Amino acid sequence: MKIIMARKRSIRLELPLHLMLIPGILVTLVYAYGPMFGIVMAFQKYQPFLGFLKSKWIGLANFEYVFNLPDFNQVLYNTFLISILKIFFALVVPLILALLLNEVAKDWFKRLIQTSIFLPFFLSWAVLGGVMIEIFSLNGPINAMLSGFGLERIMFMGSNQWFVSILVGSDVWKGMGYNMIIFLAAIVGINAHLYEAAEVDGAGKWKQMIHITLPGMAPIIILMCTLSLGGILNAGFDQILILYNPIVYESGDVIDTFVYRLGLFDQQYSPAAAIGLFKSVISVVLVTLSYYLAYRLSNYRIF
Amino acid sequence: MFYKQSLSRKLFNVTNVIVLTLITLLGILPFIHLLSVSLSSNVAASAGEVSLWPVGFTLDAYHFLSKKAEFIRSFVISLERVVLGTAINMLLVFLTAYPLSKTNEQFRFRTVYVWFFALTMFFGGGLIPSYIVVKETGLMNSIWALVLPGALNVWNAVMMLNFFRGIPREMEEAATIDGASHLSVLWRIYLPISLPSIATIGLFTVVGHWNSWFDGILYMNSPEKYPLQTYLSTLVTAINVKSITIENMSALQNLSERTLRTAQIFLGALPIMVVYPFLQKYFVKGITVGSVKE
Amino acid sequence: MKRVTTSVALISTLLATMLLAACSNNKETAGESSPANTATASSSQSAEPVSNDPLGKYPEPVTVTQVLGFRPPEEADALQGVTPETNGYIKDLKEMLNIELKYKWTVPSDQFDQKFNLAIASGDLPDMMMVDYNTFVKFKEQGILADLSEAYQNYASPTLRKIIESDGGFALKAMTSDNKLLGLASSGEGGVQVLWIRKDWLDNLGLQAPTSIEELEKVADAFVKNDPDKNGKNDTYGLALNKNFAAGWGFDAKGFFQSSGSYPFAWLKGADGKLIPGEIQPETKAALARLQSWYQSGILEKEFALKDEDKESEDLVAGKVGISFGEWWYPNWPLNLNKDKDPKADWIQLELPSLNGNPGKTLISRGIGAIMVVKKDFEHPEAAIKMANFFQELQKPKYVDKNSPDFKGPKTGYNYSWYQPRYYSGFKDIFLAVNEALDANKEKLELPEDFIGSGEAQTWFDAAKKYQANPKDNTAWGMYYSRVAKDGGIAVAEKIKEDKSKFVYNEYYGPPTPTQVEKGASLNKLTNETFTKIIMGSAQISEFDKYVEDWKKLGGDDITREVNEWYDKNAVK
Repeated sequence: MKIIMARKRSIRLELPLHLMLIPGILVTLVYAYGPMFGIVMAFQKYQPFLGFLKSKWIGLANFEYVFNLPDFNQVLYNTFLISILKIFFALVVPLILALLLNEVAKDWFKRLIQTSIFLPFFLSWAVLGGVMIEIFSLNGPINAMLSGFGLERIMFMGSNQWFVSILVGSDVWKGMGYNMIIFLAAIVGINAHLYEAAEVDGAGKWKQMIHITLPGMAPIIILMCTLSLGGILNAGFDQILILYNPIVYESGDVIDTFVYRLGLFDQQYSPAAAIGLFKSVISVVLVTLSYYLAYRLSNYRIF
Repeated sequence: MFYKQSLSRKLFNVTNVIVLTLITLLGILPFIHLLSVSLSSNVAASAGEVSLWPVGFTLDAYHFLSKKAEFIRSFVISLERVVLGTAINMLLVFLTAYPLSKTNEQFRFRTVYVWFFALTMFFGGGLIPSYIVVKETGLMNSIWALVLPGALNVWNAVMMLNFFRGIPREMEEAATIDGASHLSVLWRIYLPISLPSIATIGLFTVVGHWNSWFDGILYMNSPEKYPLQTYLSTLVTAINVKSITIENMSALQNLSERTLRTAQIFLGALPIMVVYPFLQKYFVKGITVGSVKE
Repeated sequence: MKRVTTSVALISTLLATMLLAACSNNKETAGESSPANTATASSSQSAEPVSNDPLGKYPEPVTVTQVLGFRPPEEADALQGVTPETNGYIKDLKEMLNIELKYKWTVPSDQFDQKFNLAIASGDLPDMMMVDYNTFVKFKEQGILADLSEAYQNYASPTLRKIIESDGGFALKAMTSDNKLLGLASSGEGGVQVLWIRKDWLDNLGLQAPTSIEELEKVADAFVKNDPDKNGKNDTYGLALNKNFAAGWGFDAKGFFQSSGSYPFAWLKGADGKLIPGEIQPETKAALARLQSWYQSGILEKEFALKDEDKESEDLVAGKVGISFGEWWYPNWPLNLNKDKDPKADWIQLELPSLNGNPGKTLISRGIGAIMVVKKDFEHPEAAIKMANFFQELQKPKYVDKNSPDFKGPKTGYNYSWYQPRYYSGFKDIFLAVNEALDANKEKLELPEDFIGSGEAQTWFDAAKKYQANPKDNTAWGMYYSRVAKDGGIAVAEKIKEDKSKFVYNEYYGPPTPTQVEKGASLNKLTNETFTKIIMGSAQISEFDKYVEDWKKLGGDDITREVNEWYDKNAVK
């Protein structure tokens, strides 16, 4: 009797929560789950004229085709390497920046930095591509510096040793303002009393950062980590397409550029869909894994 | 002892400012370069001569982009879209993040809902099915096609719910004892306290709506309904030099794709750069959560 | 989403090239101007019943739906606020033929393919469409196209016929399947490769214009070492090149390969009558070896492989390079800008150089231009033909002369580039007519009533006049030198096309074969990677032999077989 009462009460308490979710659920059902019928393309020889119902079903043939293309393994490896590096540095660099910025006393300086770091986010790779080639060219400023130090000039964009670093570096630079804002919001959200208490205890700034700021940011850091894993097979299509060239195919060709080139002869709807599904599955597996890891290790539910 | 600590502190502060200034320059310089290109003559830009100062200063590109009636029209559509879209997005983010920020004990179906939403971050149907759904739900050619399909940004909702969780439980409990409903807890306690994160997510939402152009192409059936970024993208590609044919030789000779494209970036980023400083006071200022206790 | 966009950008570039191809001339019409026939299109058909009038007005309004990829009007004096829906041509179409043209949607041309693919996928096609050859083949296989044979027989105006059939029936045959005419198109020939070179640099160094690869090598070497711009700085290099050097749209090595008898990515007829792929022939190996030596000696820029066409064009404008293979339109862009920057700059164009005494033969790709198709269930297929007639009618001189009271142009709200279908004849007649008027020092271009292409002619003539009035107007120079000048772009291209020893045909113009769709991307990657590495010296020239083996094994042999099967079955010979 008591249990039923309790359940009834909790249903009454929870009902508003369910109701609040209704608009979001509706939109998601229609516009996110609705189009998912398109996933069937991955198992069909999809032809736009025939549509989803009449196109021929071919089982896993699209997957076989894609996985058996020459260099698929190399491309997959490149993709993983580039995106893991990007994920790592895209978290660490903005985190450090946010911490540094938090130590700045002057408000105007803080704002100036915040704004200018965010600016590159607005530039598209199509525009940046030309600028980057210039900066890293044999006669560009970087090489001028190198030769000034008595070092040999390097063809950065045409070198498989350097290409990945340039991709990662420029991507981090372009996106760091975005993540930094999120980290700053997390820092701002930390209870100021904790710092006051620490100062009373005689803890220095460094100790405050280790013992208050970082633990306070932990949930957001874990969250960002997990969510970025979802993009593990997106190494950055726009960027690579504009910057790569045949010499660095070896290190720079990734899944998305690969699929793009497949489509140049004729729209390849189905192989592209198969790759997309493959990427989604990998993402979900990784995100789920880190979700449970985070829960197990720090008892924190990311979402 | 005291003196020593303060010296190292000073040292840190100086290095810190230097490092941050360098990084600031790294962000600003390319922007200055592109601004200079957009203000340079076609010849200088096409010869790749512009570095950090305009060569052959001219406002032609801006003049060209802004003199047209289409510019104002699509600007208004963009404003509508940003206002309507951001309002709906933020509302849905609040409504979705709040229940999901509860513990599993407070809200037993939480996990189911969370995965229901989270899966959409990874799986998508692709362009064709999305188009068909928008078409079948009758949104084609209306502003709702630009607003509704992305009305709930799950990523933002997840971020919001994590910020919500940082709010001390005691504050909510105090209010619930006073008999406040969930809605009023969200409205009166959660939202005021979450201003920094709302500003963050709000900024991302505004930027997202302002910048997106491709859905305009997809879902609008004539250019009169294009938002600004869609319109600008068509202008720039329209005079693509690669396709010079007899049909499109003429007055545009003095403008290059390069200067126009860079001008477009500025017009695109400008409103955001205007809005940003206003939002910034929420980023910079800390909020003393504990003060409620006193 | 972005991925698709970029591919669309590429496709539209290809399409633009096709359009260019469609615009260029066909030999058969050469010199065949017939000013005698001044009768109007309708009266010349007097033997036919009145109902077959090419421009006959329907008693009841007929509605035709279309979709449109368009560009904003670029003429400075274009009437503001005119949209495709309010285009003057549509108004006239209603008045003259009682045809109501409705657009299901309009979109800027760069995004057209994207939107059109979505329309196909959602089954929402208009009555009448302009498609490319690949889409045409797919429509044909789906059996959704109307037979236009009767409509064409009965309604095509003499002008339209003359344009369509100017290629000796090549396009009509290609469009016909089982005796049904499933689409209407004119065929065209792709751009001819020429060699652009800075005349002022040659003069500075006292050099002759090169006629052979060997001479070109000497000139290029001098352009690297002897300071051709006399600015006292070692800041020039020999030959413009970019990373898409074998298949780009400009500033590439296509012309160089062709001069060497090598035709990568094209299909030529071999000694046994079979089509052979150009990229694996020994001539290609020899050409690559030469490029490798040029890279080492500094004729090619060290970082050419990092630059795309846009980026490379900067070097031409900036005066860093004075030799480039390419097509006839360079003066329009970017050479005009180079002249703006350096008034001393003077560009000339030469025919492809010879190698070992063999003249360089340019590759000509025959192809079908934009194809008009009509959906099977549309009740008035003849309306499509009439609409084509209508456009030709409105191209008559009195409508395109800015000073005529009947002028229908941008200024008065008419935008021809938004109207479809449009067919164009070649440049040759226009070239002759404009030059005749200029030679006679005419102030006004007077054309016979039935002149085909008078709109074009008027534009050319105006540009030439502008250039004559102000030789410093480099924009006008670009237009003039690419089109009108007797030693300019089109003139040289036409001359080459008249001499059978100076060109070869790319014999394959079909859609991508099944193996090409499947393996083409991998093969192209292999080709580009190998070629680039050989040129830059990171691979030995001997790698080429291994490449040929790999190419064949990875699907090249299958593609060769499929291409030959297509050739035996479908090619219009």
